Amino acid sequence: MALLDKIREALEPLGAKVEEVRPGYISVSVDAGNMRKAAQLLFSLGFDHVVSVEGVDWIKDKEIEVAYHAASYEPELHGVIVKLSTRIPRDKPELDTLIEVWPSALYPERETWEMLGIVFRGHPELKRLLLPPDYQGPPPLRKDYRVVEEGFIVDLTRKQ
Amino acid sequence: MTSPGSSELRGNPYFWYRLMGRDEEGYDVYELFIGPQHPASGHMRIIVRLDGDIIVDAEPDIGYVHRTMEKLAEGREYLKNIPLFERATIIDAANITWGYVRAVEQLLGLEAPPRAEYLRTLLAEINRIASHLYGFGIAGIMLNHSTMFMWAFGDREVWVQLAEDLTGARLTHSYIIPGGVRRNLPQDFKEKALKAIRYMEKRLQDYERIFVKNPVIIARYVDVGVIKAEEAKRLGIVGPNLRAAGVRYDARIAEEYGAYPELDFEIPTREEGDAMARLLVRIEEIKQSMSMIKQILDKIPDGPIFHEKYYRMLPPKLKEFVEQTGRLKLPGAFIRLKPEPGEAVARVEMGHGEVFYHIVSDGGIKPYRVRIVTPAFRNVVLYRYLTRGARFMDLPAIYGSIDYFPPEGDR
Amino acid sequence: MAPQPLDKVVEFILSPHIFAPLIYPGLLAAMLVLLTLIWAERKMTAKVQLRYGPLYVLKPLGGIIQLIADAIKFMFQEPILPRKADKWVFVLAPVTMMAFTIIPFAFIPAAPGFVGVDLEYSLPLVLSLSALVPPLILATSWAANNKFTLLGGVREAFMMVAYETSLFIAAFAIATYYGTLSLSKIVEAQTVPGIVLNPIAAAIFFVAMLMTASKLPYDIVEGEQEIVAGPFTEYSGILYMLVMGASYMELYVLSLVFVELFLGGWKPVIPALASIHPAFQGIALFIKAYLVLLFAVFLRSVYARYRLDQALEIGWKKLFPLSLISVVWSLILLVITGGA
Repeated sequence: MALLDKIREALEPLGAKVEEVRPGYISVSVDAGNMRKAAQLLFSLGFDHVVSVEGVDWIKDKEIEVAYHAASYEPELHGVIVKLSTRIPRDKPELDTLIEVWPSALYPERETWEMLGIVFRGHPELKRLLLPPDYQGPPPLRKDYRVVEEGFIVDLTRKQ
Repeated sequence: MTSPGSSELRGNPYFWYRLMGRDEEGYDVYELFIGPQHPASGHMRIIVRLDGDIIVDAEPDIGYVHRTMEKLAEGREYLKNIPLFERATIIDAANITWGYVRAVEQLLGLEAPPRAEYLRTLLAEINRIASHLYGFGIAGIMLNHSTMFMWAFGDREVWVQLAEDLTGARLTHSYIIPGGVRRNLPQDFKEKALKAIRYMEKRLQDYERIFVKNPVIIARYVDVGVIKAEEAKRLGIVGPNLRAAGVRYDARIAEEYGAYPELDFEIPTREEGDAMARLLVRIEEIKQSMSMIKQILDKIPDGPIFHEKYYRMLPPKLKEFVEQTGRLKLPGAFIRLKPEPGEAVARVEMGHGEVFYHIVSDGGIKPYRVRIVTPAFRNVVLYRYLTRGARFMDLPAIYGSIDYFPPEGDR
Repeated sequence: MAPQPLDKVVEFILSPHIFAPLIYPGLLAAMLVLLTLIWAERKMTAKVQLRYGPLYVLKPLGGIIQLIADAIKFMFQEPILPRKADKWVFVLAPVTMMAFTIIPFAFIPAAPGFVGVDLEYSLPLVLSLSALVPPLILATSWAANNKFTLLGGVREAFMMVAYETSLFIAAFAIATYYGTLSLSKIVEAQTVPGIVLNPIAAAIFFVAMLMTASKLPYDIVEGEQEIVAGPFTEYSGILYMLVMGASYMELYVLSLVFVELFLGGWKPVIPALASIHPAFQGIALFIKAYLVLLFAVFLRSVYARYRLDQALEIGWKKLFPLSLISVVWSLILLVITGGA
């Protein structure tokens, strides 16, 4: 596939691992330090906006995967999503922000900071977005955050 | 900034100067908190900073209806997430769940039979019309045009009823499931749909007379909240807001899902990028959707509505029931769907724009991670972009014209 | 034996000095107008919008006394005084506002020779009295000490100067033609309705009237989508009823003036009615004024709200020059026809 080859050619010098997960879904994983360069290369290939910024907490590996899903409004790149991802340690989740490359990452990055505690260095407003402003506690989308769901039957005999 | 009512300011001759506190950028601003109880839309707050009548900054403060959907989804089986996600955009339930179902189908390696794809498309288009009408109503009441509000909400009822005829539920259809749909087409559906289309075509002319060509609306909408193609692309705007700026992008043509490749429809775009263009694009989309519904009802192929692999699991008694009534009963094993480890993405065009799903599976019966990016969340940045430098009274016009749906943005 | 004093009392009440301000066209008639007009407004809007409108209060008559129910609710609602408000102004401004909309009834002639106080300068007096309301709205907005009321007050201040000027000039344009500032003399002098003679002035007066009473498309001051209820944000209970009623009362006063200036006032007079009570000769005036009111409130179901700067532009760039033209037009007419 021509597009896949183009991406390989552009990104493999950075040590990126490029693979096609499914038709129209290409995964690119790089080191945390190379994220901005990779993003710029993808941008120059025509991927002009970010659909989603997200984190996946791989608690067993003690790592968090930060993924940017980039796509394009250009007709020839319709239907292609490129996942640009990197893995960073869980206890020191820091990353440079990519909003200079993709301004559309402004709000998603802010949400990812809030939900997974990933600090995007250089992001102008890392403050609460969806959660209450006075929210205390661990980032809720990490796997060690347990959701306390109220069951149908409440055990009244149990001691607090 | 000191609040205007604080006691130290009472009787102070410099009251006005103190009231107009200064922000970091050196602006003299008057800070106003609009919401979260808003007469028209509600569920969000806009922090407006005013310099006289000019908006310096309007910061959307969302999250008042955040329901932690991504976290909840990690604790539920794949099928149980469908009723959860449709509550993000209750006015457009078919489209928002279709994205999730498409991603799950990719993980399972399933494909719905053609008739099911047509039925999905049918419901999606009905939902799109209803969603646009909802947006019209909000846009109308934002300008205090209560007639538009009442008309649009009243006529939306027609499409809600139609969806009810098809699925059995007014809003939360839970109609689209991995492998197919839950109900077959009712027998008299075609007549009902054609009647609704005829009615709507007449009503669109009424709308044009009272709203679109109303001199007050023209004064309020033309050249208000302008975004051009280049900026819209940079900010990652989606949906009618993007197409009104002249970018011909639509997930229906980009992803070629459902029955869309076989249907003949146009993606309406406009160049102006102002509030009026957004309104006109939505009207044009309603017309396109109606034409698509007609085509679907003409072209819909016969055949099963559910994937053979799971249909075979049904006991003979239930199979008979399904054949007779056209209402699907799910096999018991269906609740414990177990996709292979891996990941999948899917995009679907909703009424408000494109919804994106990313599902990571670890081989269990529950998803490891589900990421939803709703169109409203991607469009929320428009509040900041469009309002800067606008007049204060443009705020409701812009608010109404971008068709923001707070529960969808908050998820 | 008929008690002499009672006759005197009845005579006193029926005399124009009391009857005009208190019964017709004054307080009682105004209350009736308020009651039915708001109902009619809601009913008409509902008709356009394919719904019922007020229905359940006195169902056989289509919920006509809905407003009484609303009024009772407002009466018994707790009027909340914000702690940080300037309490005296906050309470007194709505009351004074209502008073200034009622006082003009003493000077508006209701029927031939039937007026509370007959003045040579009743037109400027009535207009000036109703022009006292906007400053009181400013006072309420300041006294409530709230960000939204302040913005509403600023809007009112802008709007006030934009429409008040044109309103006065348009009224004087037609008065120039008749050569008098007395409303009763203007009506007497009208053989041809003023709207035919000077349609520009009539149109300006009507638009300025809408702006005064902040009816759509000019309900900018109470822009509920941005500033909650403008200057009236903090009002509740009976005080809210007063500020809300005042704008309708103002509309009623101005529409009476409009009919007397441009639509021939109480003409045609039905002499048979005069034998019952002289005030009944004014029935045509009342009907005309009511129709004008109905038209004014019907606009609500057609138009949206203009932006503040657009309304100001209409006020200063269109209404104001046009009102000057209407003065010139009156003078030309005066020269050609030699006056009424």
